[in-house]
Amino acid sequence: MSDIPKRITLEEWDLRYEQLAKAGTYQPDYGGPLSRHVEDGDQRLLKLRYDNSAAALRLWNFLLTEEYRLHEARAAGRKIVGTMKDLGTVPVMAYCFENIVAFYPDGAWWIPCVMELGAGLLQIADSLGIDESFCPVRAMLGAFVTGTHFPIPDLLVCSVGATCDDFSAIAQRLNGLGHSIFWWEIPHRRRPEPDETAVNLPGGFSAPKCQVEFVKSQLERVKTALEELAGEKLDERKLSAGIKKSNQVRRYLTELRQLAFTAERCPIPALEMLIAEMLAIHFCSDRQETINVLKELLDEVTSRVRAGKGILDADAARIFWVNPVADLQVMNLLEDSGGRICGTEYLFTHALDIILEDLPPLEALAQMALADPMAGSSIDRAGRICADIRRFGAEAVLISRIPGASHCALEGQVIGEIVREKFDIPILEIEVPPVTDSMRPTVQTRLQALVETVKARRQT
Amino acid sequence: MKTVIYTCPYVPAEWIAAHGLHASRLLLDHAESDSALTRTEGVCPFVRSFIGEVMNNKRAAGVVVTTVCDQMRRAFDILIRKCDLPAFLMNVPNTWQNLESQKLYIDELERLSRFLTRLGGKSPSNNNLSEIMLEYETARASILAAREYLSAGQYAQAIAALGRDGPDKTLDSVTASEPAINGIRLAIIGGPLMKQDFALFELIEQSGGRIVLDATETGERGLCSPFDRRRLRDEPLMELADAYFGGIRDASRRPNSELYKWLQRELASRHVQGILFRRYLWCDMWHAELRRLKDFSDLPVLDIDTAGDNNMERQRTANRIRAFMEMLQ
Repeated sequence: MSDIPKRITLEEWDLRYEQLAKAGTYQPDYGGPLSRHVEDGDQRLLKLRYDNSAAALRLWNFLLTEEYRLHEARAAGRKIVGTMKDLGTVPVMAYCFENIVAFYPDGAWWIPCVMELGAGLLQIADSLGIDESFCPVRAMLGAFVTGTHFPIPDLLVCSVGATCDDFSAIAQRLNGLGHSIFWWEIPHRRRPEPDETAVNLPGGFSAPKCQVEFVKSQLERVKTALEELAGEKLDERKLSAGIKKSNQVRRYLTELRQLAFTAERCPIPALEMLIAEMLAIHFCSDRQETINVLKELLDEVTSRVRAGKGILDADAARIFWVNPVADLQVMNLLEDSGGRICGTEYLFTHALDIILEDLPPLEALAQMALADPMAGSSIDRAGRICADIRRFGAEAVLISRIPGASHCALEGQVIGEIVREKFDIPILEIEVPPVTDSMRPTVQTRLQALVETVKARRQT
Repeated sequence: MKTVIYTCPYVPAEWIAAHGLHASRLLLDHAESDSALTRTEGVCPFVRSFIGEVMNNKRAAGVVVTTVCDQMRRAFDILIRKCDLPAFLMNVPNTWQNLESQKLYIDELERLSRFLTRLGGKSPSNNNLSEIMLEYETARASILAAREYLSAGQYAQAIAALGRDGPDKTLDSVTASEPAINGIRLAIIGGPLMKQDFALFELIEQSGGRIVLDATETGERGLCSPFDRRRLRDEPLMELADAYFGGIRDASRRPNSELYKWLQRELASRHVQGILFRRYLWCDMWHAELRRLKDFSDLPVLDIDTAGDNNMERQRTANRIRAFMEMLQ
């Protein structure tokens, strides 16, 4: 059994799985060969390249078994909360209750990719008047209609205000179909005016104190709704303990990102890093197991970095990636083209920043919610991207547009201009639909051009 | 007098005027689409035109943008980077059923006041504000009362003139005396119209119809609710906030059930026989309501989408409307 880090196919993973199993490698109860998920219809898995570590196997199995966990939770009498849009805030609170499990129905936006459109969710969205001019998150509507991808939640909570219009409109459509939604407001984050008290938020943004107070009042409403659902009060002690646990996830991710993005040789593929980062937003329906999964992954990456091992050539072009991709395969494509990820901004950086533990817990959560990159201006977002470009030493920026997404039409220009003003590095925009097969040559050519440009600039 | 421009109906013109500034609600022109944008794919044509208009506007002293729609919120980012005109982004909450959201709206009006003061305006007294509110109220009431006597186009123009010019000139323009022509009774529902879109009213009349409910953002739906006269004297700012924040029903509200309650009432009371649904390509807020509106109403609905203004599109829209009218006759 070779322990040389590399990217392997699903077929190769089956062989590797047998080797790991024979060697007695620990498998959690949701473990097993990755290829079994293809039987559930996850056809895209056949076309991806995976990291070959046991830690990555655990990560993938954890991700791909979330639906079972949710059904198990319901069967066990736990309440299920669908948290929508805020990407990282409400789950911190929800997981403080023993009998609540929270997840993001928004995550259904990857189903058309993973099932290669086989689930028919986009067609259902079409039939409800939500066509391809909307972001692929419209797949969520189809998932609610079929009821086959997650259990229908006992409570749906959705943040609105400074969010993308696609999601807000789709959530309203869902509401119009009879699903009751608890709406809470996240205001557009603005910079404090001279006569206002300023608060420094996690991630380096700032906001006036009155906005933090407002968000706190909204989260108080959410807390009350969760308490009513759970039948128990959430006191400060329990909320603080929940924040500490969430911060454990965030600390592991901070270390993981630092290692993955700065190591001389890329120690872990972009795809696994994307999935690892995603765990922060709702812990894939099991907070403690998220911590365990990330710990194992971090250990693997740490040992690789110490040993100077990696999955890519040392000269891979160092790319900063903006926005998540609707087609996971594009992360592979970057590496196939000679690039590696050195910095990400997948629209949920607030779910990665440490939540302050020396504040009243609800205020700390409010600060975190307000630090959502989507809640503020594209100018603020560009500022953070610039800081991370410097921190991780990225040589180029790739802005991945989400088809139809209201924010993508205008933010790319602002981010691109600001990055250009600060750094002399190439910037490329691509659009990534849920399945890129038909445009793969175009996307790949653009990625290759970016990589070649980066490498050519090293020589000048 | 310095002019402050805006388009969003949640910006109370009275508040700007009470600061001694001229409030002018823009009626946008498709021709202003050439703007500071490096790419236009995915950008709502209305937002595109708004950016173009503000960039080219030489008479305004300031612009007020709101957060009601995501692309407008992001248009503000473009404007403050590309344009010298002082700009203010007003937070208008989408939620409306809790006190905190209502208070946020009032706080934003107070913050807007500070912006207006920086532009040279003067913070208004209660008396000042209530007088201005009364002027606007009287003008709005006169337009609403004249609805039956104006063509739909004239009625829409009168509402637009009130927003653009203020109450003084509006009263002069609302002097029709002939009862409006009859025809198939239609509603037009959707976001804001642009200048060129007013030709639709004439086209509909030529085809044997009449808009009896202008539920676009630039039409009757975008007007605030009538003021409570007693409260207007005692607490004018609170009354102003209630009439705008609580009185304008929009697709962007969460939930937007009040919009449908209002539509149900108005469609029935005006005996509407068909609906024209006007939306911009890439406007998610209104696009998502199309199928719901069809499910909600028993009336025939014609979807008129637009990606901008050009001859081919005008022809297509005209043909679709004529076909719709034939079907209803």
